[in-house]
Amino acid sequence: MTRRRLALCAAAGLSVGALFGLWLLAGPGAPDRAVADLQGDVQRGAYVARLAGCIPCHTNPDDDRGPLAGGPPIETAFGTFYGPNITPHEADGVGAWSVEDFARALTAGESPTGVHYYPAFPYTFYTRLSNQDIVDLWAAVNSVPAVAGAAPAHDLAFPYDQRWTLGAWKRAAFRPRDPAQAKDMSRGAYLAEAAAHCGACHTPRDALGRRDEARRYEGAREAGGGKVPAITAEALREAGWSADDLIYALQSGITPDGDVFGGSMADVVNGGTQFWSRDDLSALADYLLN
Amino acid sequence: MTQRRRQASYAVLWAGAALLAGALGSAGLVAAHTGASGVVKERMDQMKDAGDATKALADMMRGKSAYDAAAVRRLADRIAGHGGDALTENFPEGSLDPPTEARPEIWENWSRFEDLAHRMEAYARALAKAADNPRAGDQAGSGMMGQGGGMMGGDAGPPPERLAKAPPEAAFRRLTQTCSACHKSFRVDK
Repeated sequence: MTRRRLALCAAAGLSVGALFGLWLLAGPGAPDRAVADLQGDVQRGAYVARLAGCIPCHTNPDDDRGPLAGGPPIETAFGTFYGPNITPHEADGVGAWSVEDFARALTAGESPTGVHYYPAFPYTFYTRLSNQDIVDLWAAVNSVPAVAGAAPAHDLAFPYDQRWTLGAWKRAAFRPRDPAQAKDMSRGAYLAEAAAHCGACHTPRDALGRRDEARRYEGAREAGGGKVPAITAEALREAGWSADDLIYALQSGITPDGDVFGGSMADVVNGGTQFWSRDDLSALADYLLN
Repeated sequence: MTQRRRQASYAVLWAGAALLAGALGSAGLVAAHTGASGVVKERMDQMKDAGDATKALADMMRGKSAYDAAAVRRLADRIAGHGGDALTENFPEGSLDPPTEARPEIWENWSRFEDLAHRMEAYARALAKAADNPRAGDQAGSGMMGQGGGMMGGDAGPPPERLAKAPPEAAFRRLTQTCSACHKSFRVDK
């Protein structure tokens, strides 16, 4: 009797554990976006691509494959990532996707077949994108030529190469957002926190790759020994940056002391912020400085 | 008594030696932190001077100070003087002594490094020639998917001869994009 009870308890414990494991690995999912009935605009979407910094990771300027056909290697502390081909190619790009698939990729970090993406793809930010921006972006993605050829597989160190663990990572580090929340954000906050994902580099991460939001924008180290500077309001003010200085630096890459950005900030300016409208640059500068 | 004296003099000797060692040690540290030497120092000074000139030019381009064509010519020539061979000759193979910010990739990709150094000189000379040309208006926000130098490749753009006949902003832009391309590939941001 006791033995039978013990076995029952063990079985129950095991199933609860297994269920918990399954729940953990499934990841958090995200609210579905009502994008099917919205009309996308290619021109606006191309601009959203500049706002969201899509180009530097998905277009390699050192090959002639064309826009969004796969990016250059991205060196990180966890290994090397390759931004995939997101041209409308049926097999190697996103040609077979629906707009809902695209929205789920951006806001839930999940492929159409339910594979979890690494957070090197900044869905932890894009989860705050508005439905209209997503739909416009989708129109722009579909406007570029379809290019064959998939990007190389990511080259990551153990245990980061164990993709099946990402669901658990997402449970611990990712909060999917409801689109309704985006309405309360100022334009500057939206640009920094939903689109341009400044915190992906400027906020320090722990060994699991989680951003330490208590130290938001306090700066971090890059793989290869480079330093990502702090961009908190205090740090920027202390270093003498005015709003005009920030706007000019994001347009030109030139800092107030006459230095010119290198590192990944060079890509951020070249592939993104140099194309931003004056109003958007101004909103971002205002958000960062206040 | 004598033994005590001997002990005392040993103590003085040791203290002196320790002081000397400490002084030498910290001098070494100071040298490592602030004082670059040899080519590393020379090229850091070079870059600092080019940066100062870039700042003065940027202030004029963005309307923070009054535009002065003669000053633009002078500043642009100053930058040009730090480019080309004047730059590359300060990068003998493997010169990576602290506090250098140079990456070893410079010597793995020497032809690209050399090319960027020569572009720096050529675009700076073009800017000097363009100093008196009519100024450009605000051109930000014109990028479309599939267009724009940053997306299609960093090195494509008008040649220096054409930039010399364009608004000074165009040559300045190409010049600083060259700085950025080189910094991105060959400099550690410390």
